[in-house]
Amino acid sequence: MTETEASPTPPRRAKLELLVRRDTDDGFDVREIGSGTAFVRSRPQRVATESYELAEVASRVAGQRSFILKNTATDRFLLLSEPEKFLWEQMDGRTSLQEIATAYVLRYGAFDFDIIPNLMRKLQGAQLLTLTPSSRLRQALARNRRQPVVKAIELGLTALERINISSRNVQRLFTALYRYGGFLLFTRGAVLVCALLAIVGLAAGVKLWREGGDIVAGFGGHAVRAILMVKLLFFLTVAAHQIVHGLALIHYRRRVREFGFTFLHGFVPTFYVDVTDIFMTSRRARVVTAISGAVVHLVLGSLWFVVARSSPLGSFTQAFAAASGMIQWQAFVIALYPFCFIEMDGYHVLADVLGMPTLKQEAMAWVGRLVRGRAPRRFGRHEQVFALYVVLSTISVGLFIAFNIMLVSHARS
Amino acid sequence: MSSSTETLAFLREVRLFKDIAEPELMVLGRSMEERPLKRGQIICREGDPGEEMFVVRRGSIVISKLVTGRVEQVLARIGPGDFFGEMSLFDRSPRSATVQADSEATLLALDREGLRRVTEQSPRAAAAFFHALVLIFIERLRASGDLVAEVTRWGLEATGLDVDAR
Repeated sequence: MTETEASPTPPRRAKLELLVRRDTDDGFDVREIGSGTAFVRSRPQRVATESYELAEVASRVAGQRSFILKNTATDRFLLLSEPEKFLWEQMDGRTSLQEIATAYVLRYGAFDFDIIPNLMRKLQGAQLLTLTPSSRLRQALARNRRQPVVKAIELGLTALERINISSRNVQRLFTALYRYGGFLLFTRGAVLVCALLAIVGLAAGVKLWREGGDIVAGFGGHAVRAILMVKLLFFLTVAAHQIVHGLALIHYRRRVREFGFTFLHGFVPTFYVDVTDIFMTSRRARVVTAISGAVVHLVLGSLWFVVARSSPLGSFTQAFAAASGMIQWQAFVIALYPFCFIEMDGYHVLADVLGMPTLKQEAMAWVGRLVRGRAPRRFGRHEQVFALYVVLSTISVGLFIAFNIMLVSHARS
Repeated sequence: MSSSTETLAFLREVRLFKDIAEPELMVLGRSMEERPLKRGQIICREGDPGEEMFVVRRGSIVISKLVTGRVEQVLARIGPGDFFGEMSLFDRSPRSATVQADSEATLLALDREGLRRVTEQSPRAAAAFFHALVLIFIERLRASGDLVAEVTRWGLEATGLDVDAR
């Protein structure tokens, strides 16, 4: 039997052709949506808390835990394994199946391709699951569409969401980039150079800080234009950040599935790279991949500080380089610092190390229950981590705002 | 009125009129009005009253049905030689779908009076016309069945719903 005969063609996935009308005129866009795409983007939602009960079943086998899930409305019972209980807890109507699968891999270090569909079938059979197709923000906007401001926001988000320039055929490009020089970034020499640059950059930055007022004077009357240029230049380096993430994947012999540009959450312009394949390898690889992108900002920031330090005091070049250095270093810190309510590289490393892939969501939900007086009295390890995460993040965001206010007033004075 | 030689040559190629003899086809051609359309122009909206059927002479037309809000399901894309709008012509009911030009297009419109004139003048032409119409209706009915099956399959696949589950 030949290999072709042994592996029959999988059945074709169904597609829907939808016409989405624009609000402004009679124009329209036609979108073809495959059922597979819809499935991974769907957000399964378990029934309301009062409609089910969950209890652990005592087991005589060490290390194995089972749970009984009961639908209190229909009296249907399901036996769940621990991984299935974990998945059940993720099905909150806000998390997509794709994100749930990622969380599963982070928690258990492997992926069972059948577990999610099988569990969903069981849950649907027991009427324990509903499905909501879109985000809560979009649902809230749709409900209040009659208000002109809300309608304008919705229109804006829709327009921005349409902008997605990406390619799924980038593996060859990243492999070539890696082969022709990219591999150097993952050597001990590169780590040493980065460390040296960081020290030199830090020293230059401290000296520049003392000359703050004189440096800002270098912008003259073009401060706004200069800051916009600094921001634009920084934005381009975000592409470099993502490319280095992609190179890290190649370094660990994984696949770069997609690279492109989009609007994050519908309004934050950003480049992105799909690094999900890294979840199939070691934790060390995941950590290196996460950190490597952020190091781009450390290196660029240090170089900018060195340029600023060696430029004439009060010149435009010095002001521009110092501002660029500052924004790059801030980006480095924000990317790696996990306690800021933003799910950046550092947050993913923390979640990975703690084995709590939905740390932020769980912590916020716990605080919400605490505020409403519904949190359980137990204050175990998980609750301690939640509390620490929220407290540190709140303090950090406050300090970050204070630092930027101080930066502006320091420059003004 | 569109009675040019080009129109006649075009009508001869249209499946709906393929068995109509040339003299009757000329009468038909004279009864049809040419409608140029810009890209994106809406010919009729779902729910509008309808008095005419249209044959696409040039360009591409998209037929869609409202699903929710600004989202419509594309039922069909049709091109030169295809026709639409015949249901309202016969049963006087509101338009069942929205029809819009997907590119610059030209339509030939046939109203109830024009159709009556042709069928009265030549019962043989009328028989040929209605026979072709029935055959095309059967094809469309089969296609609708396929579309319903495809949409159902899409729903099952997109939700992971297992209908065998008890």
